[in-house]
Amino acid sequence: MSVKLKTLADLNRVRASSQTKKTKPTTVTMCCGTGCQASKSQRVAEAMKSALASAGLANSVEVRLTGCHGFCEQGPIVVIDPANILYRHVTPEDVPEVVNKTIRTGEVVDRLLYTDPVSGRKIVKESEIPFYQAQDRILLSQNRQVDPAHIEDYFAIGGYSAAAKVLGGMLPEAIIEEIKKSGLRGRGGGGFPTGRKWEQCRTADGDEKFVICNADEGDPGAYMDRSVLEGNPHAILEGMLIGSYAMGANQGYIYVRKEYPLAVQNTRKAIEQAREWGLLGENILGSGHSFDVEVARGAGAFVCGESTALMSSLEGKVGEPRPKDVHTVKDGLWHKPSCLNNVETWANVPMIINNGAAWFAAKGSNGSTGTKIFALTGRVKNTGLVEVAMGTPLRKIVHDIGGGAYNGVAIKAVQTGGPSGGCLPADKFDLPVDFDTLAAAGSMVGSGGMVVMDEHTCMVDVAKYFLAFLQDESCGKCVPCRLGLERMLEILTDITEGRGRPEQLELLADLGETMAQTSLCALGKTAANPVLSTLRYFRKEYEAHIDGKSCPAGVCRELIRYEIDPEVCTACGACLKACPHKAISGKAKQPHTIDQDACAKCGICKDVCKFNAISVC
Amino acid sequence: MQEHVTLTIDGAVIHAVKGASVLDTAMEYGICIPALCHYPGLSDIGACRLCIVENVAGGKSKVTTSCTLTVAEGMVVHTDTEKIQRLRRNIAELLVAKAPNSRAIQDIAVRCGVKNVRYSFRNDNCVLCGRCVRVCGEMWQAKALGFIGRGKDRRVDFPFGRKPEFCKTCNTCIDICPMTITPCIGPMKKGQERLCGGCEGQLTMTKNFTDSCVWCELGKGFQCTRHVQMASRE
Repeated sequence: MSVKLKTLADLNRVRASSQTKKTKPTTVTMCCGTGCQASKSQRVAEAMKSALASAGLANSVEVRLTGCHGFCEQGPIVVIDPANILYRHVTPEDVPEVVNKTIRTGEVVDRLLYTDPVSGRKIVKESEIPFYQAQDRILLSQNRQVDPAHIEDYFAIGGYSAAAKVLGGMLPEAIIEEIKKSGLRGRGGGGFPTGRKWEQCRTADGDEKFVICNADEGDPGAYMDRSVLEGNPHAILEGMLIGSYAMGANQGYIYVRKEYPLAVQNTRKAIEQAREWGLLGENILGSGHSFDVEVARGAGAFVCGESTALMSSLEGKVGEPRPKDVHTVKDGLWHKPSCLNNVETWANVPMIINNGAAWFAAKGSNGSTGTKIFALTGRVKNTGLVEVAMGTPLRKIVHDIGGGAYNGVAIKAVQTGGPSGGCLPADKFDLPVDFDTLAAAGSMVGSGGMVVMDEHTCMVDVAKYFLAFLQDESCGKCVPCRLGLERMLEILTDITEGRGRPEQLELLADLGETMAQTSLCALGKTAANPVLSTLRYFRKEYEAHIDGKSCPAGVCRELIRYEIDPEVCTACGACLKACPHKAISGKAKQPHTIDQDACAKCGICKDVCKFNAISVC
Repeated sequence: MQEHVTLTIDGAVIHAVKGASVLDTAMEYGICIPALCHYPGLSDIGACRLCIVENVAGGKSKVTTSCTLTVAEGMVVHTDTEKIQRLRRNIAELLVAKAPNSRAIQDIAVRCGVKNVRYSFRNDNCVLCGRCVRVCGEMWQAKALGFIGRGKDRRVDFPFGRKPEFCKTCNTCIDICPMTITPCIGPMKKGQERLCGGCEGQLTMTKNFTDSCVWCELGKGFQCTRHVQMASRE
């Protein structure tokens, strides 16, 4: 039941009662984030509810549908507490067995347990899974405890206590000082010190100020902002409330992609609840501070993640960046002082206020404090959302949490920071992941995407992929980004198709620097990073494409050919049947051959061959 | 009364009108900064990036466009360092490779020191400087032209691709378009595009008189601010 909270005492009472509320003896926590929903977790949840009802357990078992736990690859995930048993890949058909065995008698269903791909042993408890153990989950652990549709759940884990502390008499300057001392830096990519930004916004001239949450996450493979916003929207609202009080803003916006329907839905619901409870609106908790938040949906332009383009879009104009000679904290949304922070940045704020700047600053390393969520994907055994303290070495993330190489193919590089980031080779894996170290190494933390690549990945092809993505997403306003990307992609296409010339490598480096120095916005300034970083660390691969006209990873179609080893081929005919281009010929008991003219280099024959007779050369 | 600020451009101490852009101020004092999308009287969008300068503040130098940079007290700006020359040359090279069939673009290439073009030539008709869009919207309040599409699909067009009734057919868009005058050597056919470079001699004069505008012919070609202003006075 929602009651409008009028004073701080009201909030404290409600929070205390929700913390001491009698809980049911067993809790079934089911992940209903986007990843698990894609593996039909909602049907599992429905099956669970009806199975519990028909078993007469509805009153003694609480079913909690939460946001993303981060281990999306293993979804749908079901955790049964207090025994802390984790089941993965649960289907609706498994549910009656789980209810009858585990919930009734405590017996573990063996086949639903997680098997550690490194050691090969089955693990019963969630807390013993190496993927979780090696992390420092301060934000993601909240996702696991909170049903985003119930503000009471958020109260129960201490939600809005930071807002109460702030509204209860903390001076705005003291809040900013605390954020400054914590060393929090923007989690969206730039890594600008948050406290300094807040101070500049607070001291900027203007009758009206805005706070904005940037949830326009568009990097391929990255989804941490989505998960936090979907799973724990009240943490962001609380962070924004604190920020608005510190900077003197009365209106906030959450700019979220339309492609994130669950995030939009959960955030809107959370805002509605916060208004009902009096945590948004006029004179919040009797403090005299008024603040409200609106959700604005973006139409999916990657460039709208850039602060000025986002503000243009919010104003209802075309989402194009404008020059930032005067920073947005002075001249932002509707030319008023505006403070734009990323989802994760806002979500960190309540924890800093609650636990103190020293607690936050204790995590992390030189110049980068706290934890950061990374989206670990690519050729590793465990993929998903990973939250670690800043400064954790790349090796720990890739090998300890990610479980190392998938299928035993050696890991070659990690691409960090999304399309604007760079590729770091395996011999740089001892580098601590923090803003300054990665930038010095030619990459960036960015929003936190991490794509692991192995020997089967061609670095020139990777650079080409990211350039093509950026060319599609560039707004086209300024010359270096629009024409520079076009030419860069043209050169890379030449190289991957065997028309490359040695002098083009110098041209790439020269053009890359021009784009980085002269582009209008951060998209253009960082657009050359994929090329520059691969050129820096994998120049040999470029040279192999140009001089040797060969692709060492066997990826670039124009430079490779598939061949059948006649010694190994058993003439089983599998490849012959599978080839969609009828390029393979051969009779029974005679080794087959590939007609190179007809071959489209799709690789299907290699996949179907059981004898490893087909190789790429 | 007009307020003034004092700043340094290329070592010269300059008394500038408060609120003016660095580009306008420099041009007024005869310091030549090439520009394409800038047009006197229209808003500046910083699209062509040719007017980049180095703005030194707090021991750090930042490359930024001078058209969008407002003069400030104590500001130190360098408009012609080696770095700027190189970056400008690369941008001009991109432009001339994209649209060689324009005297304005060829003049900019000469002015910025492009000696050879390392890309294959295209023969496009528009470099999206946006002068037409802004003059239509800002000077004539007609808004009959706008940018359509994003990135490589960006183009200038009428709303919904049809000439609207509120287009007054004033032709100002065509008058200020840098693409309407063909190079002196005549229009280039497809496949025969090249860097013209015929006016390179003009540069020797500007090099000898670095501190003042010599009213070179190149300025007419790329419609530099001074030539445009003089033309409008005439």
